[in-house]
Amino acid sequence: MAAEVKIGLIGALDMLKFKNMAKVREKAIQAAPALEITADYEINNKAKALHPDYQELVVDKVIDHEGAGAKTFIMRSKDGGPVAYFRAGQYLSLKLKIGESAVSRPYSISSSPKDALNGVVSVTVRSNPDGFAAGYMLDEFKEGDEVLSSGPQGNFYYEELRDPKNIMALAGGSGITPFLSMAQAIAEGTEDFDLTIIFGSRTRDQILFRKELDWITLKCNKVHVVHVLSDEEAEGFEHGFITADIIKKYAKEPYSVFVCGPEAMYKFLNGELDKLGLPKKNIRCEMLGVTKKIADAEGFPAEAKGKEFDLKVRQGTREYDLKACAEEPILVAIERAGIVAPSRCRSGECGWCRSKVLSGTYFAPAENENRRWADIKWDYIHPCATFPASDMVIEIPAEYTPK
Amino acid sequence: MGKQYDIVVVGAGNAGLSAALHCACEGKKVLLIEQHNLPGGCATSFRRGRFEFEPSLHELCDIGSAEDPAEIRQMMMDYGVDVEWREVPDCFRIISKYSDGTPMDVSMPFGCEAFIDKMEYYVPGSREKMEEYFELLNEIMAGTAYISASNGHADSKVLKEKYPNLLRTGAYPVSKVWKAIGLPQKCRDILSTYWGYLGVDMDRMAFIHYCNMSMKYIARSAYIPAHTSHEISTAMVERLRELGGDIWFNCRAEEFLFDGDRLCGVRTTNGDVECDYALANINPDIIYAKMMPKELIPEREKKLSAARGHNYSARMYTIYVGLNRSAEELGIKDYCIFMADTADSVKEYKNILGGFDSNNFSIFLCQNIVNPDASPDGTSVGFFTSMGNSEEWGVLGPEDYVAYKNRYAKKFIKCLKDRTGIDIEPYIEEICVASPWTFARYLGTPEGAVYGYETAGWDAMMARMMMLSSDYPIKGLRPIGAAGPRGDGYSSAYVCGRLMARLALKDLKDEGR
Repeated sequence: MAAEVKIGLIGALDMLKFKNMAKVREKAIQAAPALEITADYEINNKAKALHPDYQELVVDKVIDHEGAGAKTFIMRSKDGGPVAYFRAGQYLSLKLKIGESAVSRPYSISSSPKDALNGVVSVTVRSNPDGFAAGYMLDEFKEGDEVLSSGPQGNFYYEELRDPKNIMALAGGSGITPFLSMAQAIAEGTEDFDLTIIFGSRTRDQILFRKELDWITLKCNKVHVVHVLSDEEAEGFEHGFITADIIKKYAKEPYSVFVCGPEAMYKFLNGELDKLGLPKKNIRCEMLGVTKKIADAEGFPAEAKGKEFDLKVRQGTREYDLKACAEEPILVAIERAGIVAPSRCRSGECGWCRSKVLSGTYFAPAENENRRWADIKWDYIHPCATFPASDMVIEIPAEYTPK
Repeated sequence: MGKQYDIVVVGAGNAGLSAALHCACEGKKVLLIEQHNLPGGCATSFRRGRFEFEPSLHELCDIGSAEDPAEIRQMMMDYGVDVEWREVPDCFRIISKYSDGTPMDVSMPFGCEAFIDKMEYYVPGSREKMEEYFELLNEIMAGTAYISASNGHADSKVLKEKYPNLLRTGAYPVSKVWKAIGLPQKCRDILSTYWGYLGVDMDRMAFIHYCNMSMKYIARSAYIPAHTSHEISTAMVERLRELGGDIWFNCRAEEFLFDGDRLCGVRTTNGDVECDYALANINPDIIYAKMMPKELIPEREKKLSAARGHNYSARMYTIYVGLNRSAEELGIKDYCIFMADTADSVKEYKNILGGFDSNNFSIFLCQNIVNPDASPDGTSVGFFTSMGNSEEWGVLGPEDYVAYKNRYAKKFIKCLKDRTGIDIEPYIEEICVASPWTFARYLGTPEGAVYGYETAGWDAMMARMMMLSSDYPIKGLRPIGAAGPRGDGYSSAYVCGRLMARLALKDLKDEGR
């Protein structure tokens, strides 16, 4: 036993003090007034406004970018309140009811962060022959329509703690949208970096946001735009595809490359980016989707090709029996059945659709593998970027929706 | 009403996971609901690029070796949960100033003897006092273990005979006891290092609480899971499934349902669930203000809430970094480096609460030192932790938020460079900054506080333990977690979850259910 410790003047009182601790506590409690208990916290409210469960938006105005085959949907919050503030480059995941399907689509925000403070947020959708939702959005979605959106999502933004001051933005088609937001953010003073957008389009007429980009470069000397036309040669325009040579020609050292565009552009750029010799930290890509040709992916189970499997889905107390194709992400089968399921990035990155596999086998392509170590060990999947390879039983989380 | 369960546990944080597992192990039909799509609360992980980040765990005490398991390892074994533990090599390095203003750069090892030896090296002549001190700590540890095991029925005769110093010191804060036993000031300065883990300074922290925590680290060393704390949480969820329990993610409890004055179910975003008992890993103020009928709230509970005011302990601030160089290349040798302006915890806490200009307190740790596989070859991963106050984070608008977070980040990254020569800035491949907003978002705790109410003064741990049967007397509902008797921290939350589950099962038995 340790030597006797004496703290107060009389040691015996120390022990009494211990005995009295409960009494002292009760006295402190009884001395307080019996007020109504409240639980409203400034920090929690602000965090909620920045990261809402969902946003109920309504289309305020539609802008038709005719030659470019695209439309911008300017949206406000349904209740007239603010929309969530965001970092330029982030996206919204919109929940759409198309026929029987309950689908989500991630769209990069094309408006500026300051617009959000004024209660406005925009996304831009471009026509896409393979797209299921793009056609619906362009043909059906109109002024006054309501849409359920996620809060701002994603990590595709400039980060001063990590990135050099010069960003080379490589854009193809509607991949211009996050960069348009960044350009506006720089012009309005929300962001501070030097942005050179190298924008691939087919022809001059098909350049999306050409006027807007011209206007920003005119009034802001930190934003530069280089158009690269694949189907047309014109003075003042680069011709062909976005190559390492073109990037180097306009790049100011040191720089990072940000890429956003269609799948074909990534495939081409892979080889070009290697030529730049940049470290991994200086190349950042926004995916928003998985490959349409999954059967060509390395490791795809050849025996599953063309097959349809039984998929049992549990969500809370509900259970659904569906069919799922080997060459479609599991999420698509779930959405086709009209089940409201969580999903956001649709490229395996964000993990919002994280679900538990109770039985069955699956294929998760390496280029979309962003699961946590323990999730891989215990068979959790991201259904947006996972393909069934047998009959399966899975458990999916609920999604937050308005009542 | 939907499906029926014996017990619904709301919140799959550490206490919730532990409570759910305890009940399931006892044969109860358990539903665990979690508002996020991941288990664990703070005990989780997130991915950025090629890195998986640990968001909160510094080091877990009470694990012990596989041959001689301590309380938490034993608890996990009892639950049937298997986690790959990795031992942390040293206690800590602290770069600060002693109370007398002289510079301090101290590295302390685990193990009582080694700790005392190293203390003698830094504070010559301290050996005898330190040996006495450790004897005292051992007595208090043993006494506290006795009280915990007695489930609120400790025999005062046993306490007086076997653990008299527990009774003598039990009502005092750390600094009073240190002064009384004549511990040299420099020893006190070094021993104060862990104060940040509890978020209460040494003038107000109860001695026996601090003594137990620091001794658990020093005597039995610390561990981290090999694959972030998401490994622990997921292993616990999977075990719960094996035991027949259910877990619903992205599901929020909205209201506790009562039949008269007794709980009979939980209204959730997935529908109503009928149950015999609910264990809520939610701050009691939130339960009372928003989740149950006002007329069922006893007067004393209103007084307890008012007496506590909104006196929460630490609001956390963290910076997560994925670096494209190995720890070796960057010159990182220590797992855990505390950086402060002074070892005087009262002054330092005041500095922290003073906001940006005076807060130079941060802890930097690098997982690769414990676990070379914590990130891909040629890279390293780690995080900084500091604290903040509710005012500075509360006044920010959304448009100022990132800039304010980043201002702190730049300061702490520079501080690491200035104090250790470790320059991580050019090698940052991924970075994320979390603030009280982030913790409020993911945990839903008041103001994003992670440790519940301050365990200090009249509301210290021991006093709470003594009054387990008086606090929160709602029939069929018990809050668990950080606001409970044990305060927070990983091991406290696991222990508290089990303790509350035991009490709930006893309540059910007494009611004949």
